[in-house]
Amino acid sequence: MIGDIFLTGCGQTKFGEWWQKSLRDLIEEAMSAAIADAKISPIDIDAIVIGNMLGEALSGQAQLGALTSAMLPHRPPALRVEAACASGSIAVHTACALLESKRAETVLVIGAEKMTDADPSGVAAALMGAGDSEHDTPSGLTFPGIFGLIATRYMHEYGLTREDLSLVSARHHENAASNPFAQFRNAVTPQAVSDSSLIADPLRLLDCSPITDGACAMILSRTHRSSMSLRASQIATDSLSLTQRPTITSFASTRDAFSRACEEAEITREDIAHLELHDCFSIAALINLEDMGFADPGTGIRLYQNRSADFSVNQSGGLKGCGHPVGATGVKQICDIAKQLKASKQQYGAAHNFGGAGATCCVHILEHTTNP
Amino acid sequence: MQGGTIVSFTTVRHPPAGFPDTPVKLGLVALDSGIQVIGQIIGENAMIGDRVAPRLRLARIHPQGLRIYEVAYESLARVAEEDAFVFEGYLLALTGPSGVGKSTVSKILSKALSEYVTPVPILTTREAKEGDDGEYIYIAHEEFVALQDRGLLAASTHIPSTSENRLYGYRTSDITNIWKSGRMPVVVTEMHLLQGLSRTFGRRAILSCGLLPPGSSRRAMLSQLLHRLRTRGRDSEQSIADRVKNASADLDFFDYRKELFDHLLINDDIDTLIDTLKGHVLRTQEETH
Repeated sequence: MIGDIFLTGCGQTKFGEWWQKSLRDLIEEAMSAAIADAKISPIDIDAIVIGNMLGEALSGQAQLGALTSAMLPHRPPALRVEAACASGSIAVHTACALLESKRAETVLVIGAEKMTDADPSGVAAALMGAGDSEHDTPSGLTFPGIFGLIATRYMHEYGLTREDLSLVSARHHENAASNPFAQFRNAVTPQAVSDSSLIADPLRLLDCSPITDGACAMILSRTHRSSMSLRASQIATDSLSLTQRPTITSFASTRDAFSRACEEAEITREDIAHLELHDCFSIAALINLEDMGFADPGTGIRLYQNRSADFSVNQSGGLKGCGHPVGATGVKQICDIAKQLKASKQQYGAAHNFGGAGATCCVHILEHTTNP
Repeated sequence: MQGGTIVSFTTVRHPPAGFPDTPVKLGLVALDSGIQVIGQIIGENAMIGDRVAPRLRLARIHPQGLRIYEVAYESLARVAEEDAFVFEGYLLALTGPSGVGKSTVSKILSKALSEYVTPVPILTTREAKEGDDGEYIYIAHEEFVALQDRGLLAASTHIPSTSENRLYGYRTSDITNIWKSGRMPVVVTEMHLLQGLSRTFGRRAILSCGLLPPGSSRRAMLSQLLHRLRTRGRDSEQSIADRVKNASADLDFFDYRKELFDHLLINDDIDTLIDTLKGHVLRTQEETH
């Protein structure tokens, strides 16, 4: 990171089914909340970056940059970025580039997605855009199917059981219960996860993050100081298609992005007190923990079997509990880390967000300084 | 169309729009050429590791009436893979990135243990080069493909290169003849060929040794290889760049497919390495006789 980038303010809509709110409404609500939280004047914003995946497919709306910019009196320059489920975090990454290069002093970052108005098969087809349209899609593969392949192989290699895997979603639901912005604030027993209907074997309904509407916004600034600052922002990529990977039980992009982020922030994994990771499907949470080195290969489940007092994973409820409005998730994770660091008075937290089956991965590290 | 092995599978309960509305079993299949594909799996109780054969199947009918056929994969025998092999003897496989010294090790070992081991010639479609030392048999591309089609190759692969299209492989007969003479075949190999050999003879028949360059980090290992390739003076700069790229994938392979290796050895000091290998070979020979 060149110079200090402060996280000056955050705001989000509650994640859920918002039949009365359009994509535009969601963006406006999150943006206003972030500006109010940052206590800055809207005209201090000199650029906007918005992350969104499905605007055209599900709302018939592209040009989200201009759409958002028109909500501010001075219409600052605005652009929209996309990397499937990592759209939110790469919007933050893009904003960092604008700030580091001194193109901007204060940037509004938004992640937004409107998903529940379309019929589920349309949403599934649109989400499959994150896969490889030549190698994966023609066989009739869906995203749950991709992670079903990964889970089958993982269980084969490491002997993970159905009962073990069910602990992941159960914990995420339990955490979401205390998050007022989460879509599902109800506890779910591991048994209920194991009993839910099959989606793509061995994955069941409650292994999958839901379809959600929501938006989240943040103000990043070089000049408006705060106790939260971004210490690292790193992107890594992998092949789009599973067929081109030497292994499907490890995500190279997670390994690369996370190790580079630690290097950039000059910290080690032990310094991280709070982690929000991308649990689009329960199995992904385990593999990501292993690829970030918090567990050895095959042992990620131990972090769900035993609680750690000084390290939290998806305290917000993760994608499973909070809901997963695709483009909003990456921004929301960073805002949640900021909340967690403020509450625990710890120093470092990390947000891990990926798109597709880890084809794009983006990791951010946030530092909380008690004397800004 | 080629056969292959199931790497993983899932049943998609709700196929996307445009596909028949019934659950479909899909698999990630590693084809014998080393390429992986996703396709429908036919047959009850297919398992990871099962051999599959390609079958052309009507996948769906486009709204305009176009009939779309895709390759599906039928699972062959539900017999555990290892049990299907007749054990004929051990095969010593030396796997490692280009430049790590596999050929040198194989040559010295063949001399040191001349009563026990015989190197297996490598079939290749590439041109002979100065510095090649009798380890290759050069054949035409068409001839190679013909052998492949007739099932006479124990393993074959296409090694990517920007400058040429090269196929490498071993003849099954070369290996079985060495066994018949009561000796142990030694193959200098790489990741795809090693997997192919394991499919042909069974993992159990392979005394599999991975050779690593010295160096404490990945970068140190790669720079060590680059140095060796340059001093060897056999390749152009372009070809060296290709080899280093492939070497990087080879190093990953040691991690990803640990189960394919019995021993990982560092080629730091050639004498120590040869002694270690001799020990492994002699122990295995005692076991067999």
